[in-house]
Amino acid sequence: MVTKTYEGINQRIREGEAVVVTAEEFVEIARERGAKRAAKEVDVVTTGTFGAMCSSGAFLNFGHADPPIKLGGGEIYLNDVPAYTGLAAVDTYIGVTSLSTTKGMEYGGGHVIEDLVRGKEITLRGSGYGTDCYPRKEIETTITIHDLNQAVLCSPRNAYQRYNAATNSRDETLFTYMGTLLPNFGNVTFSGAGVLSPLGRDPNYETIGVGARIFLGGAQGYIGWEGTQHNPTKGFGTVLVIGDLKEMDPRYLRGCTIHRYGTSLYIGLGIPIPLLNERIAEAAAVGEEQIKVNLLDYGAPRRDRPVVREVTYAELRSGKVEVHGREVPTSPLSSFKLSREVAQKLKEWIQRGEFFLSAPVELLSRDSAFKPMKQIAEVPLVREIMTKPVITGLPDEPIARAAKIFAEHNFDHLPITDKQEKLLGIVTSWDVAIATGTKKKKLSEIMTKKVVVANEDEPVDAVARRLQQHGISGLPVTNTKGEVVGIVTTEDISKLVGRRRK
Amino acid sequence: MTAKLLLRYSPEALDKPILARVIRQTSAEINILHAELDATKGEILVGVEAPPAEIEKLMYLLKKNGIDAKKLERAVELDENSCLDCGACLSLCPTGALHTKKDYSVRLDEDKCILCEVCIPACPVRAIKITKF
Ligand code: SF4
Ligand code: SF4
Repeated sequence: MVTKTYEGINQRIREGEAVVVTAEEFVEIARERGAKRAAKEVDVVTTGTFGAMCSSGAFLNFGHADPPIKLGGGEIYLNDVPAYTGLAAVDTYIGVTSLSTTKGMEYGGGHVIEDLVRGKEITLRGSGYGTDCYPRKEIETTITIHDLNQAVLCSPRNAYQRYNAATNSRDETLFTYMGTLLPNFGNVTFSGAGVLSPLGRDPNYETIGVGARIFLGGAQGYIGWEGTQHNPTKGFGTVLVIGDLKEMDPRYLRGCTIHRYGTSLYIGLGIPIPLLNERIAEAAAVGEEQIKVNLLDYGAPRRDRPVVREVTYAELRSGKVEVHGREVPTSPLSSFKLSREVAQKLKEWIQRGEFFLSAPVELLSRDSAFKPMKQIAEVPLVREIMTKPVITGLPDEPIARAAKIFAEHNFDHLPITDKQEKLLGIVTSWDVAIATGTKKKKLSEIMTKKVVVANEDEPVDAVARRLQQHGISGLPVTNTKGEVVGIVTTEDISKLVGRRRK
Repeated sequence: MTAKLLLRYSPEALDKPILARVIRQTSAEINILHAELDATKGEILVGVEAPPAEIEKLMYLLKKNGIDAKKLERAVELDENSCLDCGACLSLCPTGALHTKKDYSVRLDEDKCILCEVCIPACPVRAIKITKF
């Protein structure tokens, strides 16, 4: 039986005797010699991840101006990016998803943090309402990280244990926090560092806890608490991390823009796992072919997205996964190369005696689960507001029939279907208007074949967004069999909004 | 001079040996960089080594034979210093021009690039840029 202690391992680190390997190396060692023997031979396994972590940000303290100003309750902009002002006079929190008021998604809180760490000058603009003790109302100055009293990276949720992979069943490209998802299952994206993922190496949370020293953005940081949405029962644990921004390295903190989604911050984060016993070693020895996640369809705009299939990290990392009988290319969104570098760097720090393990003062909860948001009103579905039954046309019918229908029923969209009610296209009153005087006779000649549709079970909000994005006023609603069951228009939606306001 | 031409075949032109025939009529050296052909459409990316007048002639001949030939005037560049090797661009690249090395670094094979530009906004740190020749 192997039992080691934190003090014992730290003593070996001090003496330069500790055996430290990266998680990638440990998986191989355990494969060759078995986890039990590996537990005896290895003291510490280092992990690493390098991904965009949206629940991140930094506390900054500016010091007082003369005459002093109370920015708390006022406004603060750092390079035009709004920062939080619900704190005292000159403290703020800059979150990575906050967007520039001038550059939009091209520059955000994540970029401000990177620029601070690079030592660049940042423009601080702020205002307060003025008090007897803080008479000043406006300030504009430039600062660098050296001018700040404290700059503390503090992220309420980093380093997800593992993360579901994403794909898209719809026939249009989607821009999501999982990157660009091509239409018709055109690609698969995934995040996380597989065998190197820190929390995945200690899934029972036997060593990862409050006060554990970690690698954070190129410096030594700490785990401060369990992360928000910490969900260890489902294998989706997270941690809150904290560290001194002033000591960090811009190589491991990179502001980024996720196309048409928003800004974020790529963070390099690594946690050392001491192999205190064989159980810990066994959990740390799990290979990528055994780490499974669900591949979710982001084409469904619901909280609980449909599972397309289960995939392993080994498949995802190979560059191709099979979806409905077809090989689909994958994109990792976390950098495996930099994750490796983080684990390697942490290993070297420990080997050189520059980094010691700290025993957690409190372990993280192992039984918490992640609850959905409490909503006081259910989001209505398309089927509840759509117009039905719907009048449809056949492709061979004359254009004149559509004109008559539009005139009699006072609407503008006529779905064209085959005899089984399967959607083929759509004709609008505008199509009919511009066809008059031409030689065109049949509805099939004027219909639009690429039709934007809604499913009857979709929430109304998703469809409202689709109408707006395509600049159209209505779309046919289909059921799961592809049959047309109704039509939903911007008018139906505005009526609903009116009702909600009352 | 070297130029890059993107040739688009119409379905009717697909099963004719047009390219081979045209090549015989010019002195241009042609190198097929990437090809994507199926029953409905065809796209071939070629590198051409020839004086400018000869390239013009080649394009004229191709167009006459029903192949839409477009000269690519720009290039896509990957700044390896700012690239994170995250791989977000990989599955978007239609030709495999963006690819990974054994050590998981991401590289761009400019020869294979058809300048579709999908990768450019998708790169989170703007490491891929379009440059004019
Ligand atoms: S522009 Fe980008 S995505 Fe398109 S072929 Fe070139 S490298 Fe690939
Ligand atoms: S998306 Fe950008 S940063 Fe990521 S691998 Fe591609 S070029 Fe590099």
